[in-house]
Amino acid sequence: MRDGDRDDLELHRSLAAGDRGAFDALYLRYSSSAYGLAYRITGQQVLAQDVVHDAFMALWRAPEAYDPARGAFRTFFLSLVHHRAVDTVRREERIRARQDRASNLEPVTVEDPAEGVTDAADLAERRIEVRAALDTLPPEQRQVLELAYYGGRTQVQIAEEIDIPIGTVKTRTLAAMRKLRRVLARSEAPEGA
Amino acid sequence: MTDDHGSIEELLAGHVLRSLTGADAAEADRLLTEHVPGCIECRTTLEDFRRLSGDMGLAAGPVTPPETLLPRLRGELDAGRARRRPLRYVAVAAGVAAVVGLATISVSQNIRANNADVLADSMAEAAALASRPDARMVDVGPMQELSAPGEEILYVMGNGVPMPPEGSVYRAWIVTDGTPTFVGEFLPEEGRVFLEIPFDPTVHDDLWISVEPADAPTDEPVSTERWSASDVA
Repeated sequence: MRDGDRDDLELHRSLAAGDRGAFDALYLRYSSSAYGLAYRITGQQVLAQDVVHDAFMALWRAPEAYDPARGAFRTFFLSLVHHRAVDTVRREERIRARQDRASNLEPVTVEDPAEGVTDAADLAERRIEVRAALDTLPPEQRQVLELAYYGGRTQVQIAEEIDIPIGTVKTRTLAAMRKLRRVLARSEAPEGA
Repeated sequence: MTDDHGSIEELLAGHVLRSLTGADAAEADRLLTEHVPGCIECRTTLEDFRRLSGDMGLAAGPVTPPETLLPRLRGELDAGRARRRPLRYVAVAAGVAAVVGLATISVSQNIRANNADVLADSMAEAAALASRPDARMVDVGPMQELSAPGEEILYVMGNGVPMPPEGSVYRAWIVTDGTPTFVGEFLPEEGRVFLEIPFDPTVHDDLWISVEPADAPTDEPVSTERWSASDVA
């Protein structure tokens, strides 16, 4: 277990006991990563801000939702942000589709990417490992995985978008996940495992 | 129906990425209910994929959020802490597939349902909730309660739920400061139950399900046959 993961466990315990200082500390540690992820998926600052807000409030309201036996706090929290961001994109797509049908509006354009920031050393280190692992994927596998994860696309949408059978989307997705799992598992193990 | 581990792994990967739809999503829900909880290999795969999904978030790169976000959050902390007792974690999505296909439900008052369209919408919302990594499922007697942090709604569902004794019904109660308030009564349909109940965790403490004589008053439970969502380890 990394030092940062141990610190997170302690902060999470304190947060569960109602410690606002622990909430602030977790916010300072993860807000940039969470916002970066939400921003990449939603493409809009307002939506990304809502996603991150809701994720932190969910953590505060029910800290017991995180179970240390299932892995690092980092992966739990960013997974939560990812789910909420994808749900937000899908909801916005439905709203936009209705609006487009009603008034032939142009699709909403994605805002310019924001400037990156520096965050905690252990998170930066893990980020490098994840990006390096992604770089090991064959381009066709990485494309499918990134459309699903960062693009919030369904497998059906991916098949249509890049014009391949849905069975190929599934095969490439699994191959990519298996490879990333192998590469990243070496430096990540659940608490108590 | 999927039964080989390669195909199951494919569905689990899509499930974790939230990229499944239609029959694939339904099959993943079924597997998460019927197969994964009892299969060490699949449980390990699912947990590994979930951790992977979290770590992939890091690769997006950090971006400083607006300065107004932390003050906004701080201002909401007082009202935001649930008073509810911690609930035990179990496999997400458990139970959702078990109620798909349920056509009708016997409810009253402010438990929503009885209308097939409303029920289908409600089940879809429950399935979406169950797929969240912070979703929780706990036993409430012969049924299960599904909830998630930040949601002011919970679901009670079950498959193979026994009929109560003749002349009796199941009743749902929401408990606030130890005082139960009647929410509605219901009977299983072919052993199946699916209820959607408004529940504010910042106000309400617990959910009870009881077996009551059908003609009993509804001001409080009169039966000792009663289950609480907090009766878990």
